[in-house]
Amino acid sequence: MSRLICPFCGPRELREFEFHKTLPNAGHTPFEQVYLRVDSLTLSVEHWQHIAGCRAWLHIERNPSTGEVLVCRLARSEGVS
Amino acid sequence: MTTRRKGARLSPETLGFTFDGRSYSAQVGDTAASALLAAGVRAMGRSVKYRRLRGVMTAGPEEPNALLTVGAKPANVPNVPATQLKLRDGLVLESQNRWPTLRFDLTALLKLGSAYFGAGFYYKTFIWPKWRFWEGLIRRLAGLGAAPGRSDLPAPSYEHTHCDVLVAGAGAAGLAAALAAARTGASVVLAEREPSVGGELEFETARVEGRSAGEWTCAALGELTRLGARVLTDTTLVAGSTGEMVLHTEPAGMPGSARLMKVRPQALVLATGAVERFMAFVDNDRPGVFLLGAAERYLARYGVAVGQRIVLFANHDRVYAAAARLAAGGLQIVAIVDTRVSGAVDAQSREIAADFAARGTLCLAGHAVFAALGGDAVTGALIGPTDGSAAAQTVRCDAIAVSGGWGPAIHAAVQEGGLKRYDETVSAFVAHDASQWRITAGSANGAMQLGVVLKQGVEAGVAAAKHAGHRGPLAAVPAASGDPAPHLEAYWRAPADERQEKNQFVDPQNDVTVADLRATLAEGFIDIEHVKRYTALGFGTDQAKLGGQLGAAIVAELRGETVPAVGTSRLRPPFHPVTLRSIAGHRFGAYLRPARVTPLHDWHVANGAVMEAMGLWMRPRFYLANGGNPTDAGIVEAGRVRTKGGIVDGSTLGKIEVAGPDAAAFLDAMYLSKASTIKVGRSKYMVNLREDGIVLDDGIVLRMAEDRFLATVSTGHADHMLSHFEHYRETEWSAARITLTDVTDAWAVIVVAGPESRAVLTSVLGSPWHDALAGLRHMDVTAGQHEGHDVTVLRASFSGELAFELHCRPVLAVGLWEALVGAGLAPYGLEALDILRLEKGYLVSSEMDGQTTPIDLGMGSLVALGNPCVGRALLDRPAFHESHRGRLVGVRSTDGKSPFLGGAQLTQDAVSAVPVGYITSSAYSPALGEWIGLALVARAVPEGNMLYVRDPLRGGDTTVKVVSPVHYDPKSERMKS
Amino acid sequence: MKGPMPHYSALALLRARFQGAGFWKPLWTGRTLQDAYDVVVVGAGGHGLATAYHLARDYGLKVAVLERRLVGYGNVGRNTTIVRSNYLLPENHYFYEDSLRRWEKLSSVLNYNVMYSPRGVVDLCLNDGDMIAAARRGNAMRLAGIDSELMELEALERFAPELATRGNRRFPIVGALVQRRGGTVRHDAVAWGYARAATAFGADIIENCDVQGLRTEAGVVIGVETTRGFVKANRVLFATAGHTGMVGTMIGLPLPIETHLLQAMVTEPIKPLINSVLIYGHPGHGETYILQSDRGGIVMGGHLDGFPSYTREGQWHRLEDVVQGAVDMLPQIGGLRILRQWAGTNDMTMDGSPIMDRIKYDNVFLNAGWCYGGFKTIPASGAACAQLVATGTAPDIARGFRLSRFATGHMLDERGDGPFPVRL
Repeated sequence: MSRLICPFCGPRELREFEFHKTLPNAGHTPFEQVYLRVDSLTLSVEHWQHIAGCRAWLHIERNPSTGEVLVCRLARSEGVS
Repeated sequence: MTTRRKGARLSPETLGFTFDGRSYSAQVGDTAASALLAAGVRAMGRSVKYRRLRGVMTAGPEEPNALLTVGAKPANVPNVPATQLKLRDGLVLESQNRWPTLRFDLTALLKLGSAYFGAGFYYKTFIWPKWRFWEGLIRRLAGLGAAPGRSDLPAPSYEHTHCDVLVAGAGAAGLAAALAAARTGASVVLAEREPSVGGELEFETARVEGRSAGEWTCAALGELTRLGARVLTDTTLVAGSTGEMVLHTEPAGMPGSARLMKVRPQALVLATGAVERFMAFVDNDRPGVFLLGAAERYLARYGVAVGQRIVLFANHDRVYAAAARLAAGGLQIVAIVDTRVSGAVDAQSREIAADFAARGTLCLAGHAVFAALGGDAVTGALIGPTDGSAAAQTVRCDAIAVSGGWGPAIHAAVQEGGLKRYDETVSAFVAHDASQWRITAGSANGAMQLGVVLKQGVEAGVAAAKHAGHRGPLAAVPAASGDPAPHLEAYWRAPADERQEKNQFVDPQNDVTVADLRATLAEGFIDIEHVKRYTALGFGTDQAKLGGQLGAAIVAELRGETVPAVGTSRLRPPFHPVTLRSIAGHRFGAYLRPARVTPLHDWHVANGAVMEAMGLWMRPRFYLANGGNPTDAGIVEAGRVRTKGGIVDGSTLGKIEVAGPDAAAFLDAMYLSKASTIKVGRSKYMVNLREDGIVLDDGIVLRMAEDRFLATVSTGHADHMLSHFEHYRETEWSAARITLTDVTDAWAVIVVAGPESRAVLTSVLGSPWHDALAGLRHMDVTAGQHEGHDVTVLRASFSGELAFELHCRPVLAVGLWEALVGAGLAPYGLEALDILRLEKGYLVSSEMDGQTTPIDLGMGSLVALGNPCVGRALLDRPAFHESHRGRLVGVRSTDGKSPFLGGAQLTQDAVSAVPVGYITSSAYSPALGEWIGLALVARAVPEGNMLYVRDPLRGGDTTVKVVSPVHYDPKSERMKS
Repeated sequence: MKGPMPHYSALALLRARFQGAGFWKPLWTGRTLQDAYDVVVVGAGGHGLATAYHLARDYGLKVAVLERRLVGYGNVGRNTTIVRSNYLLPENHYFYEDSLRRWEKLSSVLNYNVMYSPRGVVDLCLNDGDMIAAARRGNAMRLAGIDSELMELEALERFAPELATRGNRRFPIVGALVQRRGGTVRHDAVAWGYARAATAFGADIIENCDVQGLRTEAGVVIGVETTRGFVKANRVLFATAGHTGMVGTMIGLPLPIETHLLQAMVTEPIKPLINSVLIYGHPGHGETYILQSDRGGIVMGGHLDGFPSYTREGQWHRLEDVVQGAVDMLPQIGGLRILRQWAGTNDMTMDGSPIMDRIKYDNVFLNAGWCYGGFKTIPASGAACAQLVATGTAPDIARGFRLSRFATGHMLDERGDGPFPVRL
């Protein structure tokens, strides 16, 4: 995994992007949202920003064991974080 | 001294160099190894652990022993493989790991202890009295060459490039692949580790497309050039993963002028060849023992015979053709020792053997070299049948050339989840790779016959080009003839009794022997990863290229298991060693990171400012005209602001424009207090919280219009705050109509502070601004124009004085600044800024350290307002309301004069080990004539209490009294005047 | 030490020389998995092995350590070997200091040379703000009885003369916080030494045995399901480091943990150059810590790779950041070559501090969340966690590591980074 495909900019080097956090699906209280994570060997759902590019916030789903990117789309299409 | 023969790589010019103080001559084109061998030098270093004398063993980067120091201290370069070092006139070379000289080495006394120094020896001893007692001595004995004292390396160049197909390795497979890909129209980069392309073709007697291998190589290179392919020699593939590969070019064979290239290919062909393997026998590390391929290279390239009377020892048919070539070069082949029984030997090989036997060469099938005989150099070989059916015999020789087969270079192919599988026909691991974009071809893929190698190359080139979107006719595979299969039979070590295993070397650089492997297994280190870590097998500078597979195979033998069941330890990047300097590029020293400067930067520097890095920004700390050090100058500059006035460059302040119909509602959610209540033309000091309720940042939010705000954020937090806002805008607020624009660099900011600030600012901006400035109340904002450019003036103060923030377009900054100076306001720097804000109890990053809540910082009343902003909900957690949590207070010395420093801890008595708080920052206040500070102190400690300042690190323990954080003008009458 | 294991000493080496093969015994291998144990420890890394050792030695319990792969194959053998106790928060510095004091004696306690080398840990300061933050931390340590020195530039230059403190620097070095008792420990030796010692006290260490679930009966855990069948256990401890997030998923307990990658690298060996541990953070995502191993290689590391990963493959651009900092500190090493780069999987908690607590069930415990700082606490962690598992109550110095602290607000956020493991 050395690149991400930004919906606006196309394939770009990983160093242009900044990971923010994994998205919990552990619950919706503020405490759960901020602190708790559900870990998986095969799926990591994340928010990233194309910080040194178009600055889009991205919703990314990856396989953390292989680095394979399964989904990379704009975060804004999902409504809530 | 051997006689020099004609070598392909050499030019007739000569050069001179020294080795261990003696002068030698060499021909241009020689490596240090070839020149020293030509001069009859066998010993080139000593091993680290047992201090055994060692010579050169290989002709490539896998050389374990002949590592030299180039140049004299302090600019010495250690650990350069003699096999790679291209000689220049005047080079000074030294051997390593010996004292005082290579021949007379006192440290060789360590050999006496070799019986005790087996694997794991360190873990069992040196416990008494303690490791530290022994460590210095042991560190000095370990470590190969001396540490360089200075680096004189020229700056490496850095290049980024793209191509369709990157081919690593320009031997037969790589050339064929590059050619096939280029013929489809694909753009090709071909990287070759050696100074010239061709790889094994250089020594190949077989014919390709009816031509000699050398002629075919030249033709291929010519066609590649015509097709626009880029051919890079002296270039290794060092790292990378899908989509981005890193190449490193190093022409001298040692750290020097280098280039690091990042290539983004669509497809990758790995044609990295194979590394010849070694076999273990007693004293196989003696100077005079070579790899067979190395003996051939030294002869063919450099015209150097590695010995006069040579014994060849191998487990495959290639040794016979090699024997013929070596004999043709004038070497006397004393014996050809083949581990295979005669039935396994190819008919053609048998013919060659018969010829040799007729000329007096001992040709022994089913035999092995049991031991290399001699002292400082090989003088003979002990040869016996592998099955022990007869007694071993001694032959006299001065060199032994060994070939145990070849290990495909799969280092790059097994990264990123690439798998390997054991190929029985070559007794080696090959890449077993399902990757679409990465294809392994040639001997790197276990192909050992030229015809197969070329075919794999062509197929890989076509497939790679296709992956990159280029389709072409399936290229014809060059026909090759005269290259038989090697018919290799795995053989790893000659018979030896357990005592002799101490001298059967597996990894010569780390002195790992068969005995070490046996002992390691006996102690329960069974897995090859454990064996590696316990013995250091494969940890050398050759990255396990020489001894890794050999060691694993012997472990398999000792465990009674198969080689594939044992596997090999995980190969780690880089695929080839690469210098730190090439990786760092120019990013160190003054260029470690770029500097951000304000539009006034040049003025500051020209006018005696001492600049300080704040994050990536450069800001004036103080001006030398006001004192020679920050403390003195800060006092002068701060004092002048209070009595008269001054200006400070505030351009680094982060500025985010928040606009749109939903801007006010959005900011209400981002800040602890509401932005929607700010009237147009007004501003408000506001605080942000992190998601967990901790204070993130503070700043003034200006309302420029009903739907337009300017949020100012701290210099150090600006980047993060922008991302923070953008995140919420793009997620929870994605349906809202808001734009966020970073306008930090669009506005220069000059803070004009002090009693005379209004008058001076009015005079500088001129009559159009007179009324606006005259009527400006505290926290009012007014916008207008100056010299045709936008200007905003905010009346706000971080100094406690009447003050204005002048936001102007950068083009105006220097002019306005100089006008203000001309009108009598002197500039001040960060030092004075800090004194002024401290006197007023305003926060900076030492208070907002990511650990404090708004309640801690005295903003409980804002929390109580109940605005449901980001982070607000988690502020209700009980820990944030406990009485031992800190609150922001002021501190002053009880005697009115003793200094105290930020970072000092505060306790309730003189001896307590439990602090109740600490001083966040302190300064001498010119306005109050004494030291003042801010502190975070437990809420349980009331104002007026005395606390002990505990500063054991710097001394200066004293006592302070807890006071209000606002030391100066507590009612803020001055700034509101 | 009891058991058949020969005592290690110079004399023993001599005896082994004459007695020959068979003198040395396997350190831990060869034990068979029993049906039932007092305690099953999941994970044969540093923390699991040290805890097992103390459970067996101090409490006489029958312990099994079940390991998915190999003893010491995770972070205990992948870290950069640094030990120190220079922490700001009292909940941290008392614990890490307990560990440092145990490191000082560990080689004799275990009869295994773990090569504790108190060569000094140097935190470089780049400006007055850094010096104040360093003073705050160092003063807190000194009040707690922990050694710490704040060095101005001249003193630092005497202590670490190899540093490029002068010349045209982008970020000047103005001083450093130094802990002389901090230093390095040979990482693999810690795993092997504890494994040997735990085995000598009767613990069974079983490699290649993957724990796949807990078996409960009436809401009580009665054992673990493994690839080698069911193993009955009165108590279960998870000491699973980089796979702790998976444990949370397995038992249905979301944890405040994200799993991140940290890489390290080593150069070719040279004679002694760097005689302490140098730690250097600078603006622009820069962090490099660097030391020289006893073998002579220059070992270095830096920030996390920056996103969750189980790949154990470091990103090249992070390696560049680390190397830039190294060459900036020590330009003379520019000609040395990186030989190996590797990575470890780190269980990063939402405040950067560990979790040592009972989880979900009365008899199930967790010792994890050590982030990238776990190696240095292994001796203290083993002792404290053994007390927790054996008695049900953690010692005072480990009380801060409760899981409930996130809900109550008692986070131990040493660096003030908040609930974001990779905030740069």
